[in-house]
Amino acid sequence: MNTRTEEQTDSEHPPAEAFADFLRRMRTGIEDGLDPMSAANRAADELPKRLGDVVQLLAHRVSGDYHEDEWGFDEEFAEAVYPLFEFLYEVWWRVEPDGVMNVPAHGRALLVSNHAGALFPFDASMILLSIMKEHPLPRWARFLVLDWAFVLPFISAFMRRVGGVPASGHNAARLLEEDELVMVFPEGAKGTGKQFSDRYRLQRFGRGGFVEVALRTGAPIVPVAVVGSEEIYPKLADARPLARVLGAPFVPVTPTFPWLGPLGMVPLPSKWRIEFCEPIDLSEHGPDAAEDRRLLFEVTEQVRETIQGKLYENLVKRGSAFVGPL
Amino acid sequence: MAGRRVVIVGVASHWGQELARRLALDPTIDYLAGIDIEPPTADLERMDFIEADIRGPLLSRLLPSTEADTIVHCGILWYPEAGRPARVLHDVNVIGTLQLLAACERTPTLERLIVRGSAAIYGCEGATPYFFTEDMARTLPLRTRFQRDVSELEAYVENFARRHPALVCCTLRCQPEIGPELDTPLIRYLDLPAVPTQLGWDPRLQFLHADDAHGALEAATRAPVRGPVNVAPSGSISLSHILRLVRRPALPIPHPLFGPALERLGKRLGAGPLYGDGVRLLRFGRGVDNRRLRTELGYEPRFDAEGAIRDFASKSAGRRVGPALHPGDLAGRLSEALR
Repeated sequence: MNTRTEEQTDSEHPPAEAFADFLRRMRTGIEDGLDPMSAANRAADELPKRLGDVVQLLAHRVSGDYHEDEWGFDEEFAEAVYPLFEFLYEVWWRVEPDGVMNVPAHGRALLVSNHAGALFPFDASMILLSIMKEHPLPRWARFLVLDWAFVLPFISAFMRRVGGVPASGHNAARLLEEDELVMVFPEGAKGTGKQFSDRYRLQRFGRGGFVEVALRTGAPIVPVAVVGSEEIYPKLADARPLARVLGAPFVPVTPTFPWLGPLGMVPLPSKWRIEFCEPIDLSEHGPDAAEDRRLLFEVTEQVRETIQGKLYENLVKRGSAFVGPL
Repeated sequence: MAGRRVVIVGVASHWGQELARRLALDPTIDYLAGIDIEPPTADLERMDFIEADIRGPLLSRLLPSTEADTIVHCGILWYPEAGRPARVLHDVNVIGTLQLLAACERTPTLERLIVRGSAAIYGCEGATPYFFTEDMARTLPLRTRFQRDVSELEAYVENFARRHPALVCCTLRCQPEIGPELDTPLIRYLDLPAVPTQLGWDPRLQFLHADDAHGALEAATRAPVRGPVNVAPSGSISLSHILRLVRRPALPIPHPLFGPALERLGKRLGAGPLYGDGVRLLRFGRGVDNRRLRTELGYEPRFDAEGAIRDFASKSAGRRVGPALHPGDLAGRLSEALR
C-alpha cells in the first residue's frame, strides 16, 4: 500500500496528493518523536491552504468547467481513476510491456488484441496504461466495448467517460477518421467467456469487421498479444439459466465467484506481458478493398496467427503464471 | 429565392412563426402565406393567414389556390399539452401530414416541400452508433408512439417524393431544442429546482440551439436538398455536465421509478405522457451526425452541443426561483472563504 500512496503523490491529483502530504507530514512528526495526536495537529497546520485547493478543484469540477469530447470521453475523469489502474498495472499484475514503439505516435491506428477476463475484462485498461506509461508520446486510446455493457447503469457511464464506445463498425470508422487510436477485441464475448482450460486459444475473430474498418479508413493494424489476462478469473462453468434471465452473454462461475460475493470479483494476481507487434499497413489496398471478402479473411487470419504466435512466445518468456518480480 | 411563393403550414408553432418573420423581411419573396388553426401571436403584416385545420380536407381546396411553389411543414407536434392530448398528436402528425401530401398532389405549381421532422426516428438505445447518419433510420426498433409517428410520416413523405421525382422533398430530422425563450417540457425539466435523473445513467445528448433550429429551417427553405437531413449541433454533452453548467442539482432516482416520478411532475412540466420518449432519451441519449447539414445544406451551426448549453445557462441564470441549491455554488463560496 505504501507504493501506492507514493505513486499518488507523484501524479497530479490534488485531493489524493493533499491527503498523502498530510500523511507524510504526520510521519515526519512521529519520527521527530511526537505523539500521534500532536503529530496530526502539526500536519494539519498546513492543511487549510491545501484544502482550499482541493475545494477549488471540486468547485471547478462541480460547476461543469471541464470538457468532454463528442464521444463522452472525459479526460479529467480518466485521470482521476488512473491511479487505481496504475496500482493494478504496477503492483498487482506487474505488467511488462514490449514493443510499445510499434504504436504510432500520431494518426489513426487500430489495435487488435486477444480478449479475456470473464467478470471484467481488464485487458483494455492495461493496454491503455502501457501506452500512457511507456510510450514517449503517450496518448489515450479508445476501445470498443461489448454492447451489453451499454445497457447497464453505472458501467455504461463509466466506460464512456474513460474512452469506451459501443462496438459498432460505424463508431470505429468514425473514431479512426478522427485520427484516434482504437482498440478492438474481435473475439468479443467468445473470448471473455472461454473456459479456463481454453486459455490463450484464440476464438474465431468475428466476421473480420475490424479489417473492413481498417481498409475503409486506411488505418494500420497493430496486433497486440496480452498474456496474463486469461488467468485473472479462471472460468470453470457457466450459469446459463441466470445468463438468460439477465440477458447477459454468459455468467461465469470461478473458484471464488459467486461464492465469495463481491470479494470473489477480486482478480487473481497473475503476471502480465503485453507485446505490441509490427503494424500491418493496409493502405496499398485502398478503401474499395473493404468489399473484398477474400482479402478480409486473409488479413483476419494473418492478424489472428500473429497474435496466437506471440501469445505462445510470451507464455514461454513469462514462465510461471503467478510468480514474478515486481 | 426570387419570385418565390411560400406557404408555411403550422405557422402558429414557434418555428413557423420565426420562419415567417425571417421570410417576411425578404423583399424577393413574392407571396407568403401561413396556415394553422389559430393565428400566430406575432404580427406578420406581409403574411396571408389562412385558418384551416391540417387534419381536414379543406386543405386540398385551399392549397392549390395559393399557387405555392414552396411548402414548409412546421406543424409536427413533439409533445402533448393542456388541451392537446396525446391522441391528438398522432392525428396531427400522421393524418395531418397525409392530408397535406394529398393537398400537395393537387398543387401543380409545387416545386419543393420541406418537412420539419424529428431525430426521434433513430430511437434511443444503450448500444448504438454514437452518431447516426441519415441512412441509419429504422435500423433500431421503434419503441414509443412518437417514434412510430415520426417514422410513419417520413415514410409517407418518402413515398410522395418517389412518385414525384421532379419535386425536391427535404425532411429535417431535428434534435430537441434549447433556448432561454423557449417553453418546452424539456426546458421546464431543466428548470426544476432539483432535476430528477436516472440513477447510474448519464445520457449523451445534443440540444439544438433555438437560433440554429431557425437558421437550419430557413436554409432548408431557401435551398432544400433531396432526402433527410439531420439537424443537430456538433459534438455531444452528457446530462450530468448539462446539469452542472445550468447549476441544477441532480436528484438520482432508480430508473424504474423515473417514469412515474416524471408523470407526477407532469402537470408542472405540462406534458405527462411525453415522457415515454423523454424517459428513453434521458436514459440512453442520442447523437446524430450533422455533416450533411453542414456540407450539403450549407448551414454551419453557430453553437456546438456544449456551447448551446452554456448560452442557455448564461441567459437563463436570472430566472431561477428559490435558493441556489447547486453544490457548485456552495463549493465556490467555500473556496473563496478559505482563501
